[in-house]
Amino acid sequence: MKLSDLIERSPDGEVLRLWLERIPYARFLGIEASITGGDVLFKLPAQPMLVGNPTLPAIHGGVVGAFLELAATFHLLAKMEQPVLPKTINFSLDYLRPTRVQDTFARCSVSRQGRSIANVAVAAYQDDPNTSTATARVHFLLADYD
Amino acid sequence: MSGRDANRVRLLVDRMSDYIPHADELGICFAGVDGEKLTMRLPWREELVGNPTTGAVHGGAITVLMDQTLGIAGLCSEQVPPTITPTLDLRIDHLRVATTQSDIMATAWVYRATRKILFLEGIAWCDSPDEPIAKATGSFVVMQELDLEKLWQLVESGE
Repeated sequence: MKLSDLIERSPDGEVLRLWLERIPYARFLGIEASITGGDVLFKLPAQPMLVGNPTLPAIHGGVVGAFLELAATFHLLAKMEQPVLPKTINFSLDYLRPTRVQDTFARCSVSRQGRSIANVAVAAYQDDPNTSTATARVHFLLADYD
Repeated sequence: MSGRDANRVRLLVDRMSDYIPHADELGICFAGVDGEKLTMRLPWREELVGNPTTGAVHGGAITVLMDQTLGIAGLCSEQVPPTITPTLDLRIDHLRVATTQSDIMATAWVYRATRKILFLEGIAWCDSPDEPIAKATGSFVVMQELDLEKLWQLVESGE
């Protein structure tokens, strides 16, 4: 089944898994998603190849950014009434503390969704959901553009 | 920049790329230096694709390349002593869709250096730097206490 067909289905854990499976880069990073208490939880399992600072050690900051962007995309897709694959307009990322080499989670909230543009806030955390290692804000375009 | 300085930058970039496992995994490598402007290359591979229909690299992989290139351009800059420069923040504008199955290049430079903070910007491009696919702006922290010589000593003593 193609991604465009899949996004028509109401998002449960299985549909989210199928979505992520169809994006080679999401598969490469090993991103997982589950639905708990009506909310989508994303997970980036720790892997040696994701390390950016072997001395601390810590996950590569770019990987944390990529994880947050993918999480925001799929969260938005899961929340849309008429789903279209969102395209990133821009992405603003603040690093608050090192993301250690252990499983990392992301939780998102849609700050605003208009007809053609959405704003999604997303935070990465590890042991404590109230202690973010990085936060980001993503603007998405919900229609085709050049 | 003299030829010797360009060689110094190249050696530093290669050393950092070997040191950073994720950069090594992706094969992000030195592609050129022109004054304070550093260019790095992210080789195209199937696993980086974000849109299976077009074969274009995912925006997240461009974020990795930008973070890497801005960060390394910061620590290579002659405006600061060679120290570790962790990213404080990064903002990326996606300007165009990446060319199908194309390597991505990133060019970055320091536009203001203070004692504690480096301000950098950069572009990502496929066919020509005149047609950037993304633009990045970032600030990086100068960790004066973590100079690179100490880092290499730590790395060597740990091995």
